[in-house]
Amino acid sequence: MTRSRWTQAATALATAAVLVTAGCAAPVQTSGGGNAADGTTSMLIGADNGSPTFERNFNPYSSNKRNTASYIYEPLVIVNEMSGDETPWLAESYEQPDASTVVFHLRDGVTWSDGEDFTADDVVFTFDLLLQHPQLDLRGVGEHIASVEADGSDVIVHLSSEDVPGAVIIAQTMIVPEHLWADVDDPVTFTNEDPVGTGPYTLGEFTPNQYTLVKNETYWQADKVAADRLVQPAANSELDIVNKGYDWAYAFMSDVEDTWVTADPEHNTYWYPAGATIALIPNMTKAPYDNLDFRKGIAAALDKQAIADKAEQGYVDQASQSGLMLPAQEKLLDPDLPNQGVVEQDADAALAHFAAAGYTQSGGKMVDANGQQLTIRITTPNGWSDWLQGVQQVKTQLGALGIEVEVVQPQPAAYQREMRSGEFDMVMGTVGGTGQPYQDFSGMMGARFYQDVGTTASGNFGRFRSPEADALLDELKVTVDDARQAEIAQELQTIAYEQLPMISLFYGGSWGLFSTKSFTGWPSADDPYASPKTWDQTPLLILTSLEPAS
Amino acid sequence: MRYALRKLGLLLLTLWAAVTLNFVLPRLMPGSPADAAIARLSQNGPVSPAVQRAIEVQLGLPDGNLWDQYVSYLHNVLTLDFGVSYTFFPQQVSELVAAALPWTLVMVGLVTVVAFVLGTLIGVGAAWRRGTWMDSVPTMTGSFLSAFPYFWTALLILFFAGYVAGWFPTSGAYSATAVPTFSAEFVGDALYHAALPALTILLTSLGGWILGMRNTMITTLGEDYVTFAEANGLRGRTVALRYAARNAILPNLTGFGMALGGVVGGSLLVEQVFNYPGVGYLLFNAVTNQDFPLMQALFLMITVSVLVANFLVEILYGVLDPRTRR
Repeated sequence: MTRSRWTQAATALATAAVLVTAGCAAPVQTSGGGNAADGTTSMLIGADNGSPTFERNFNPYSSNKRNTASYIYEPLVIVNEMSGDETPWLAESYEQPDASTVVFHLRDGVTWSDGEDFTADDVVFTFDLLLQHPQLDLRGVGEHIASVEADGSDVIVHLSSEDVPGAVIIAQTMIVPEHLWADVDDPVTFTNEDPVGTGPYTLGEFTPNQYTLVKNETYWQADKVAADRLVQPAANSELDIVNKGYDWAYAFMSDVEDTWVTADPEHNTYWYPAGATIALIPNMTKAPYDNLDFRKGIAAALDKQAIADKAEQGYVDQASQSGLMLPAQEKLLDPDLPNQGVVEQDADAALAHFAAAGYTQSGGKMVDANGQQLTIRITTPNGWSDWLQGVQQVKTQLGALGIEVEVVQPQPAAYQREMRSGEFDMVMGTVGGTGQPYQDFSGMMGARFYQDVGTTASGNFGRFRSPEADALLDELKVTVDDARQAEIAQELQTIAYEQLPMISLFYGGSWGLFSTKSFTGWPSADDPYASPKTWDQTPLLILTSLEPAS
Repeated sequence: MRYALRKLGLLLLTLWAAVTLNFVLPRLMPGSPADAAIARLSQNGPVSPAVQRAIEVQLGLPDGNLWDQYVSYLHNVLTLDFGVSYTFFPQQVSELVAAALPWTLVMVGLVTVVAFVLGTLIGVGAAWRRGTWMDSVPTMTGSFLSAFPYFWTALLILFFAGYVAGWFPTSGAYSATAVPTFSAEFVGDALYHAALPALTILLTSLGGWILGMRNTMITTLGEDYVTFAEANGLRGRTVALRYAARNAILPNLTGFGMALGGVVGGSLLVEQVFNYPGVGYLLFNAVTNQDFPLMQALFLMITVSVLVANFLVEILYGVLDPRTRR
């Protein structure tokens, strides 16, 4: 290399440096929401994460949709899955004249954001669309519906069988406009870049790094919508959330008091309520996991609160063996279950159960009749560090009784395959969580989801079989009477408590971070009207409950 | 010429092997694309049976038996049609790659070239003045910096330059409200966002080039022809650059070929840390989501570029060092 080339290289470097410095003036950083000079209110949300940028997909039935598609499209009824409470939405009410028919009475005066009226035909069109395209049927309405017809402002759904729990599943379907969607060639690959819905927001500006949602001024309850503009950046790292003053974000933060709350102690709050139950699911097709005494021994050997504290840093509680999410579902709880259905740690009881199952302690080890060490294999997904922490605690506690625990950690996809095809001894998994007893208990132990080992199942991963539970589930499916529904739900809890189709450990959390700087009225432990989650339908409840901060 | 043809034949054979491996390896991973999609969703809570079924129908399984899949795969490779991504359904793989590639090529590519040129020059200087501060300072700093793992340096830089000092943005390739265009403002914005990831790669890769060049150079400086050149009274710089460095650069050049070929693979960890929308991030998404079509396209792109870059380096070798042409 000669002198002149040295000079050239130096010049190039200097030019690059100048460009970099010149760029320093250009950036526009987002800051928190608040009240602008013109009196409009803006809310910064962490509801949707880019990967790392956003794809413009607002098809509400796509599995890769933007989360906020459900702020644009609305369902007939919104269900708070924590309590099971229903809020009528596009349907003012619905009824079941018999167990195989549902009639929705639609709300008057609702329009699409392009000005067209919302009608019963839109609802019929939507259900037909889902029946024709099972790829889009994320709620599984197809298996419940035989046919749908419009009758004035009513929609009559004929169910494919006597099916009372089906009504609420169908009711949660997001409705799309027939006048726009009828022309879509392939709704499965349709990305719906310019969404038109009935909801409180419409899409504003969209760039791959950030988009805004703008208040729909013709919304049917526009007076209840406080935020004029929602700003959603693609990158919502914990550093960003704390520093940029988010109004609402969904994120687990370790030591949330010293990170999120400390950033603005006057306004920043958090609510981490209980979600679905995290449990150890034993494989009922394998010994000794099919032995009830063995399962009882394990349940009694564990201090679930210690496991919960280790896994989720003290933000969640130990789970009830009833299969319910407490305290949200307290009104469904069988009052006869001791201690709200939480199985207390009791080493003596555990040893007695293990003895009944044929295992005794010998020289500090738990051994079977032949003197063989008892070893349990637990499968948990690789990289889910909170669950792993929980399993390590299980290992320590069972180790104290002389039981050896082998923790297997396949990659998440392999974990799913092993769980769904039944190729495990005990697997850590999530059960329940919809707030609907029929759905939760049939997914936990119903014959409806039973598959042989090696065949993919979509529920009842432990391959549990109980004619008693199936009879109850079948009855629940056709029972219209509320009192009888409650009784059956309690009997199902008793089965979960006594037969242990899964061993409840702790509640998975929902991680809501809120700021009251610009808006108040967020859900909280005192007012749990909605989950803090930012996807699906319950955000509509939050967005129509907020008030501007004074 | 025969040398070049022989190398070309070898290139084609290696390409076929790489393409075939590329087909086989993803399929050896346990779990299906549907399993991966469900696993991704289940991090937010239970995935209802209905969602599981919808995803299974949506993604389906690759059609036909392995042999049919292989044949249609080869056909797709030749026509560069990689189909629809599973992770980003219904996006086309080609669109995704086209969107990610420029970011990586410019950011990682430029930095790789700069690091190579700068590191090699510093290495020459260090060897020429060995034993002085010009040797010890860059050598010590270089080995110190390259001893850190990429992501660790990245996190440190992110925290101090991005978060504590606030000099540079901490994530993304351009500002939140910017729309990619070729305006001066946007290019400036993009360079500003590329600063931290680029600095990370530069710092961690510079050391390798310095050390590699310095060590070979010192060996070369002990050769008779260098002593002869010096004895003939040639200027120091001429001896260092024209005689010693030209011979000592060969190993570094091989490394450069590899590095350049690897550029299209992106810089996975750095792109992850800085949320940089390049190929590395895309590759990470593809692998964690069992996205066969996307993985195949990316791995193919990487292997082909590495092979082609190596091929070019070998040709260049033949020019620089006549002995290899035999």
